[in-house]
Amino acid sequence: MRVRRLSKTGALAATACLVLASCGGGSDSDEESSSGPQTLTIWHYYTADGQIAALERQNQLFAESNPDVEFEVVQIPFEQLPTRLLSTATTQDGPDIVLDNVVVDFPALAGSGVLTDLTPYWEEYADADQVSDSSVWRLDDEVYNVMSYTNLLGLYYNADILDELGIEPPETVDEFQAALEQVADDGQYTPLTMSGAPTVEGAWMYFPLLLGEGVDYCNLDDATLEDALSRLQSWSEDGILPREAANWDQTDAWTQFASGDAAFGINGNWNLGAAADLPFELGSTQYPAGSDGSRVFPGGEGLGIGAFADDPDLAWQYIEDAWLSPEAGLINFEDSGQIPTRADVASQPEVADDELVAPFVEAASNTASWPLNEETAQMQTVIGQVGSSVISGESDAAEAAERGVTGVEDAKEEGGGGCA
Amino acid sequence: MTSTAGVTDSAGGAPPAVAEEPAPGGPGETRRGLPRPHLAAYLVPAVVVCAALGVYPIVQMVRMSVSDVGPATLIADWEFLGAENYREVLDSDTFWPAVRATLVFTGVLLVVDLVIGYVAAAVLARPSRLTSAVLSLMVFVWALPPLVSGSVWKFLLAGDGLVNSTLELVGLPAVDWLSDPDLALWSVSLVAAWASLPFAILIIRGGMLAIPTEVLEAASLDGAGPVRQAVSVVIPLLRPTLAVLTILVVLYAFRSFDFVYVMTSGGPGTVTTTLPFLAYQEAFRTYSFGIGAAIASVLMVVIALLAVPYAWGVRKEESA
Repeated sequence: MRVRRLSKTGALAATACLVLASCGGGSDSDEESSSGPQTLTIWHYYTADGQIAALERQNQLFAESNPDVEFEVVQIPFEQLPTRLLSTATTQDGPDIVLDNVVVDFPALAGSGVLTDLTPYWEEYADADQVSDSSVWRLDDEVYNVMSYTNLLGLYYNADILDELGIEPPETVDEFQAALEQVADDGQYTPLTMSGAPTVEGAWMYFPLLLGEGVDYCNLDDATLEDALSRLQSWSEDGILPREAANWDQTDAWTQFASGDAAFGINGNWNLGAAADLPFELGSTQYPAGSDGSRVFPGGEGLGIGAFADDPDLAWQYIEDAWLSPEAGLINFEDSGQIPTRADVASQPEVADDELVAPFVEAASNTASWPLNEETAQMQTVIGQVGSSVISGESDAAEAAERGVTGVEDAKEEGGGGCA
Repeated sequence: MTSTAGVTDSAGGAPPAVAEEPAPGGPGETRRGLPRPHLAAYLVPAVVVCAALGVYPIVQMVRMSVSDVGPATLIADWEFLGAENYREVLDSDTFWPAVRATLVFTGVLLVVDLVIGYVAAAVLARPSRLTSAVLSLMVFVWALPPLVSGSVWKFLLAGDGLVNSTLELVGLPAVDWLSDPDLALWSVSLVAAWASLPFAILIIRGGMLAIPTEVLEAASLDGAGPVRQAVSVVIPLLRPTLAVLTILVVLYAFRSFDFVYVMTSGGPGTVTTTLPFLAYQEAFRTYSFGIGAAIASVLMVVIALLAVPYAWGVRKEESA
């Protein structure tokens, strides 16, 4: 048995080393004396300046009332964070706090035992009623992640270009299509920028076209997916969406939009932090609505406590004070533009009265549900791949739709068949 | 070389005549006076490190490839599946296109590194100030991390990047280097070849400089021109070097993942998804560790098969 355990240990260490994860950065309680300062180790993958600035200010906020607490903030590359977190099961040494990509990794992380069950804390939390239920992530009725903010997709527009061409900000997919065609016909500007990468990012960008028709990962069908992919294909073929969007991630797409040469950009609210620096007047509206309205998937990071945290009570206190408190929510919003999940914070004038933010706040009230399946990452990746393939011209919409639906169904089945 | 061979042979039980050769620059009595077990002890740290960091993870990877390992079972007992993961990999829609992409990738690297590498090495074999400058530049290119050079090339090959701007400047249309499904794999392969070319040039040039000038002078006196010399003298003499280089390039291609990751993420669609990238995607993006390990194991077998002739070739060159 001991041999078996050791061999697992080696395998997990190898798995971690495969992604060049370093072995440092975990909690270091052994080095602390019982009377010395406590250290909270925080793992995150933030790269945006606004998000990092918010994290620093929120840590300061906590430090003001907890001067004996020090922080060890560890920035880990986006794609390495879940693997490193999974490997903590072997090392028995991980972060106190982790900000994970909850919408993709939650089933894997929560199911693997590397996150602490937050249920007792959440049940005792006095302001739980202020946080929308979709921001509380449960597996088998146990809470493992809580979101203090959410990131949503919307439609940005260059108001200068729209004014010049006499276009009103579109609200529906049909209006959006007409506006895009008008910009394309004019020929001066790129009509649209959005990520079409063959990844979960790319899937997130165009899936709202299906959500607007009442279709999500759990009831995906050939016809609706084909319609959405046909639209992407026509956008690419008609010069509305540059073909190179097939490889663009969200940052690439925003960079293109921010250059001022594009009329529309589908992207997330986290870019609002940089809105003041743009060389044109920025506008925003909700993702164009289909026959079932405008719906997007909620994004953002989940707050969790590592299963091997030195002091889970202190870690929860940190989550409450530095993330879930109204003051922390406003700091985070000011620095990063991310939408607070607390209803009382979202209704504050600083948030609610901001015209650029309002569409995202509205979207937050009617979000779709992610598939709760261990293979959700695979499901989303397949959808991203088929989107990229039609934008590039590698596949036509019908063939890609068939591949997409089959891939999602296979992944769903492999993940136990559950979804909602 | 002689000293290394002497130590290795002594430890490995080679004939006493070899073991008793004195090391150049050293008195030789130290080795002669040490018992073999004592010398073998010096190898223990290296063997332990190799076993811990090389052999043991490989064994575990192979175990993983025949087991049901996902995020929920990573720290539990692994259910033995036999060849099921391999069967699933071989039957999947993504594996064979990835094999094809890997072969194209490898082919481009081989052609560029061997053909252009040979020509460039021949030019750089002549000493001059320019040669020194070019060699320094090549070492710089070679030393660049793939993540850095890949990112730079991604910008250069973008729709409004320097390459397309230059094309438009001379009246040619812009090209979707990384998003055209017919071009993307070639573009990424060529960038990877560009990055590995300095290594190939340095190796071939080293081989060329080792050819005795008397041989080339004799060929010249016999009336052989540059082409004839290359075909009949230089290339035959370089054959062991080129064989080893070929194997190294193939090994590099079969584990080359960085440029795909940085430049295209395997796209558009799955056009540039090579086997190493597919293994990474399965293991670390969708957390199908068993499937990812199965793909990696297939790759490892190919690499191991190539490593044998490589080791044999090196040994042959050393003993020549």
